[in-house]
Amino acid sequence: MKKSKYISLVLITAALASCDKKEKEWNEDEPKVYMRSDSTANYSRSHHGAGIGTALLWYYAFRPYGRYNNGVYNRAGYYSGGISERSNIGSNTGKYGIIRGGFGKGATVSS
Amino acid sequence: MERIKIEPRNNWQSAVEKLGFGFHSTDVPYWDESVYYKFSLTEIEQIEIATAELWEMCLSAVQYVIDKKLYAKFHIPEWIVPYLEKSWDDDYPSIYGRFDFAFKDGQLKLLEFNADTPTSLYEAGIVQWFWLQDFDKNKDQFNSIHEKLIAYWGELKHYLNHGKLHFACIKESLEDLTTTEYLRDCAIQAKIDTKLVFIDDIGWDNAREFFVDLEDEQIRNIFKLYPYEWLLNEDFGKNLTVDHTNTLWIEPIWKMILSNKAILPILWELYPYHPNLLKAYFDKGDLINYAKKPILSREGANIELQKEGRSLEKTSGEYGEEGFIYQDLFELPNFNGNYPLIGSWIIGQTPAGIGVREANRLITDNKSRFVPHLIG
Repeated sequence: MKKSKYISLVLITAALASCDKKEKEWNEDEPKVYMRSDSTANYSRSHHGAGIGTALLWYYAFRPYGRYNNGVYNRAGYYSGGISERSNIGSNTGKYGIIRGGFGKGATVSS
Repeated sequence: MERIKIEPRNNWQSAVEKLGFGFHSTDVPYWDESVYYKFSLTEIEQIEIATAELWEMCLSAVQYVIDKKLYAKFHIPEWIVPYLEKSWDDDYPSIYGRFDFAFKDGQLKLLEFNADTPTSLYEAGIVQWFWLQDFDKNKDQFNSIHEKLIAYWGELKHYLNHGKLHFACIKESLEDLTTTEYLRDCAIQAKIDTKLVFIDDIGWDNAREFFVDLEDEQIRNIFKLYPYEWLLNEDFGKNLTVDHTNTLWIEPIWKMILSNKAILPILWELYPYHPNLLKAYFDKGDLINYAKKPILSREGANIELQKEGRSLEKTSGEYGEEGFIYQDLFELPNFNGNYPLIGSWIIGQTPAGIGVREANRLITDNKSRFVPHLIG
């Protein structure tokens, strides 16, 4: 019950609030979007409405992929859980040692 | 405890959105400041004392379950037991938990403990506090959640493995992301090096046998807003035991015991007639009026309330496969058809504040509203 004298937030900003766009904004007349995360891979169609509902989440869903080697970061490509495996990996063998998608089948945990 | 109706702030939507609270309304209102609850200082102290005492009792109950090997009652698979026991023996730290109470006629009764993945933290710690600054800044609130989170992350910093502390949740839920990012915000303020990775982006390095993030950086410490019963059942579940790099998972896996409603009969067995506990059993026992709850469930799903031989309320859902417990029926107080549930937060080892969720029924489900409070 101690009253807070001062509260500051360094990370959470209105950017999070701006993410609360209704899903229909993405779904209505959804254009056909074909994506690949690796230039050696084939394109496949992506469905935004399949779960990624906000700009911020979409940003985080499609992230650079790379590896640190002797302290130097080498970007190998991009990886996204939102597109098919064949469009992520292609013939880029740098990704073969890592498996992804083994967690996260559940929905929100709100309790 | 009084329920008081008021006029919401004119600009309440933009006021809460400026705080980063983006899920204040969905198809039904979630944040509701057309009403608040007023507690006396005595009532708040009652909640604070009960929270501290129950936390101590819960820790003793974990030790009891481990000593007696009662894992089958919790539906905890045998293969994870050595890993779970190690997490307990090595004191893997917990950051938070939320006790859900019914408070009526001076009696405060524990309904359940959300020990693994509690949410509504941001609403309780930040949104309702800023509401109070606008509504009546001279009043007080049972709320030191923010300060305690920063302070406790500061303490935990010394227990972390060398390297970053990753934060993980699913992609599709703004509510989960907000809770996760809020916790990360507090960790940053405690000067911890952090990084966000969505739970489904976590990778497993087959050659080196540890978890990595999207840049292949090894995950050495991770806060995950994702329940263990799901983690264990998914493809990477068994990798938790294959990883020999002692990755620190927060919440720790021993919280599987406390987040399971099977802990309620155990608590009653260890502390019978404790004033904050309700009778609870793995069968109906001598109960006439009771709540039948799945040992694993979320958002009030698959709960049935029985009173005088008839079904008072029942919710549907996908839970119950792992079994049920039976708890003496203690109905939430009725304020003209509004039924408030008090969520009391423990941060580290200390009670830190409350959040009130209100439903139009006795079972608090995913359509409940978060309502602010003050001490009057």
